[in-house]
Amino acid sequence: MKLIRAEKDRFTFALGKREKALLFQILQLYPLVPPAHHQLSRSGDGPAHAENQRLLEEALAEQRRENRRQVLTMLNEPTRFREFAAGIHFTLSAPQVEWLLQVFNDVRVGSWLALGEPEELEIPEINQTNAPYLLAMESAGHFEAALLNALGVKNPPRRGESQA
Amino acid sequence: MPEVAPDIGREEQTGSKSDLEPGWLVICWNDPVNLMTYVTHVFQVVFGWNRQKAEFHMLQVHQQGKSVVARTTMEKAEHYAHQLQKYTLHATMERES
Repeated sequence: MKLIRAEKDRFTFALGKREKALLFQILQLYPLVPPAHHQLSRSGDGPAHAENQRLLEEALAEQRRENRRQVLTMLNEPTRFREFAAGIHFTLSAPQVEWLLQVFNDVRVGSWLALGEPEELEIPEINQTNAPYLLAMESAGHFEAALLNALGVKNPPRRGESQA
Repeated sequence: MPEVAPDIGREEQTGSKSDLEPGWLVICWNDPVNLMTYVTHVFQVVFGWNRQKAEFHMLQVHQQGKSVVARTTMEKAEHYAHQLQKYTLHATMERES
């Protein structure tokens, strides 16, 4: 997925047919992170901690329902994806980029949790059970990076490198 | 990269009496699965930080395992923790000791 045009509040990406199929496959997985994954506190400190934790989970669940609804709407919009001879153009507004980032990262983190939370660069042995999660984690990261690139977010320079 | 002194909580410390009372810390923890650019972006969106400050805290998370990203009242700490969790970052709020 490659940014081909960025206007004020509108981003247009180009993607191939297989990439579009992969995009749909990844979006259909949302949400993947279990609701109880997020903890308000590690210490359980403070008044009404249990109640606050319950409220947090409810708020996150509501937000995910809304994101899921938007994902399904987006996938079914006939004008969202426009087919050309060279590929498919996919257009998003700035707020849509923002919630799509949340959606992709949920799939990425959820897949990572399902893989047993491997450390960075530690690739588990691939088998029938974990292969779909590995694919989802890497693919979600690929789409996420394309969106971040469109927003102009770059990695910080390494030590000794000058800032671009 | 130049060192950036984090100015966590500066805004809150000039506020009302309740803001000056023992505070709460919002801590962002490292999950190696998150892209560095993603974490930087989320910090910019949630806290309104410039890129330099967002990168400072992102690198702290990445290298030290965690970063205190806000020192504030309980209500605001809840708000920030929730915002970070909306983006699937690992964030908690802890009472300041």
